[in-house]
Amino acid sequence: MRYTRAHIFLFLSPLLLIVLFMYGMIAWTGYASMTNWVGMAPSWHFNGVDNYIKLLGMGRFWDALKNNVLWLVVFIPPTAILGLVLAYILDVAGWAERIFRPVLLYPMALSFVVTGNLWAWMYDAKGVFNMSLTGLGLKPQLWIASPDQVLYCIIAAAIWQYTGFAMILYVAAIREIPVEIFEAAKVDGANLTQLFYNIVVPNVGQATMIVIAMLTLFSLKIFDLVWVMTFGGPGTSSEVLPFFMYVASYRQGFVGLGSAISMVILLLAILVVIPYSLWFMKRAAE
Amino acid sequence: MKKFLILLMAAALLAACAAPAPTAAPPPAAIVQTVEVPVPVTVTPQPAAPVAKELVVSHWWTAGGERQAMDVIFEHFTAANPDIELLDNPVAGGGGITLKTVLQGLLAAKAPPDTFQTLSGSELKMYVDGKYVEPVDDIWTDRDLDTKYPEVIGSMVTFDGKHYAIPVSIHRANWLFYNVKLFNELGLKPPTDVDELIAVAKTIHDKKPDVAPIAIGTRDKWTAVFLFDVVLLSVGGPDKYEQFYTGQLDPATDPTLKTALEKYAQLAPYLYPFHGTKTWDGAIALLGTGEAGMMVIGDFGAAQLVNAGYKEGVDWEGAAFPTKPEEVYLMIIDCFVRPVGAPHPDSTTAWLNNLTDPETQAEFTIIKGSIAANLDVPASNYPDDLHQRASEAFQNLRVVPASAHGALTPQAFLSDWQDILTRFLYTGDIQQTISDAATFMESDDVAGQSAWYLAAK
Repeated sequence: MRYTRAHIFLFLSPLLLIVLFMYGMIAWTGYASMTNWVGMAPSWHFNGVDNYIKLLGMGRFWDALKNNVLWLVVFIPPTAILGLVLAYILDVAGWAERIFRPVLLYPMALSFVVTGNLWAWMYDAKGVFNMSLTGLGLKPQLWIASPDQVLYCIIAAAIWQYTGFAMILYVAAIREIPVEIFEAAKVDGANLTQLFYNIVVPNVGQATMIVIAMLTLFSLKIFDLVWVMTFGGPGTSSEVLPFFMYVASYRQGFVGLGSAISMVILLLAILVVIPYSLWFMKRAAE
Repeated sequence: MKKFLILLMAAALLAACAAPAPTAAPPPAAIVQTVEVPVPVTVTPQPAAPVAKELVVSHWWTAGGERQAMDVIFEHFTAANPDIELLDNPVAGGGGITLKTVLQGLLAAKAPPDTFQTLSGSELKMYVDGKYVEPVDDIWTDRDLDTKYPEVIGSMVTFDGKHYAIPVSIHRANWLFYNVKLFNELGLKPPTDVDELIAVAKTIHDKKPDVAPIAIGTRDKWTAVFLFDVVLLSVGGPDKYEQFYTGQLDPATDPTLKTALEKYAQLAPYLYPFHGTKTWDGAIALLGTGEAGMMVIGDFGAAQLVNAGYKEGVDWEGAAFPTKPEEVYLMIIDCFVRPVGAPHPDSTTAWLNNLTDPETQAEFTIIKGSIAANLDVPASNYPDDLHQRASEAFQNLRVVPASAHGALTPQAFLSDWQDILTRFLYTGDIQQTISDAATFMESDDVAGQSAWYLAAK
């Protein structure tokens, strides 16, 4: 049977509907961000970019943005690198891989609320970490009770959760490398570390791009972990843009402002995804 | 063609990965669908077939103790109105923070429940401003609530001369709970004002370095506000307290605020050091185990301690705080409303009437740990000492609305104030805090949004 263009559109129509719906919602939010909606009852009075100007003048916005950027810098490299190293170890581990791969993937199966609570208990005054420190004769730390340490503590929980994700992508990427290259290198006398640096690392470029793009989008959306572990605290030191958006829209009733924050997050996400999409298109066209 | 498909995929990827944006009507949590049974109206003078009457109730009393207390109200209601089917639709989340979010969507979609819970004051005003609730003056006069309820409660639900909610129970926010064994051991008496509080904290800190003098759990940021409120009451008295939260004071110049923040800063070193990791119930637990000496929190703290097996008078005790310059009852009101466009308005009226009944309130509040709004319920109704004292205080002392959950002060400002105070606990920067307070009082329009309270006084 010959598939015509009509068939293609038919099969794609559910996807098109979803995409239209999503874009419709985004446009609706974009419009809401240019209104003066404050309080429970919707108000669609247009007031231009006032909300955006107000946002740019709020110290809280820049603090939250700074925290998001810190997330990007502190969360993505360790997750990606750890994922790659673990993927390589799994690749050379042989039969042990079958046991360790699911084990390393389990954290991904947990919801962020569970992870957040788990790690908050571990960071508690008498939690696992402090008990280990005092057992070794060291001083217990404040962890998430300290405005300086809190962001890194939350990021640690996220790294624990997402390493499995990076690992799985890299496992697939490593499997794609032709086995002849490895064999040739081994014949030349390369050991495991040299194989890693000289063969694996240069050849997982695509997977790295995917990992970085997905992790970046995740970092821009992080909400549950912050909410559960610290509620943006101590003070507002662990606040991120999505959290600020929620508080502004639903706790304070500044829905217009919250929508503006939401559009800013979308803009940041677009800045990440567009280069990635262009690269993907270029590759596929080749 | 290939390029188009790829573009489509990229668009789908972007759409799927785009940040979650608040849609105009956020999808409500699972709700019970009420089914209306249409009744044919006949012309013949036979009585119409009985209508399947229902009542959909939205509230947040789902925690242990609260759930059983709510069931008491349900029992009383069903006994008085056997033909109305009660459909319970709670949304968990203390103080109604989650319920508000769910309601925002339901109300905007014109699908309100028959009645829902609210906290009076500025919190109720949100619904009034959105034109989502109707006046309940008919019930107010029917049940003679101007005499049965204290005047201040009436003013907390009155906007533009009309009453918009029916209060049912009252919590007290200004209790100081303390560990009895620790106090006896160190020969301490419960403090009566903030200077004594600082002195007692210092004594505990010096004599028992392992015990945190004051427990607080700032993972729930509002606990910082609870502590500040009693400091402000001690420094400035109830008038200044009300003026501050209704935007009548200029934070930049007012000396009371500065003094209150100075005292608050003096308390900061005596707080449980890991308070950022604890929620309020985690913090009150410290009081029970003896790891902390005191905690300022509402009477719901007592319920936690009792549930954990600690005995009043033996392990812990509650003292009103402050008692100087004037002991006041800092109140949190729970009420129910009549939504606009409620599916079963008669059921709503029956429900609201039932709430005012002193017997219902008497039985409910014993389990809930609060006290009845109706003055007909005597202090002797309560089995334990703490609530008898609370009831007497409510009936005899000046009652001041608490800032909690945006009752006295607008929600927007309270949210910002919580952040300012928790930051202050770490920085101790009084000037910055005062300047932040001034900035947010203006941007959250506290004075404008509190005009209703000043008009009602």
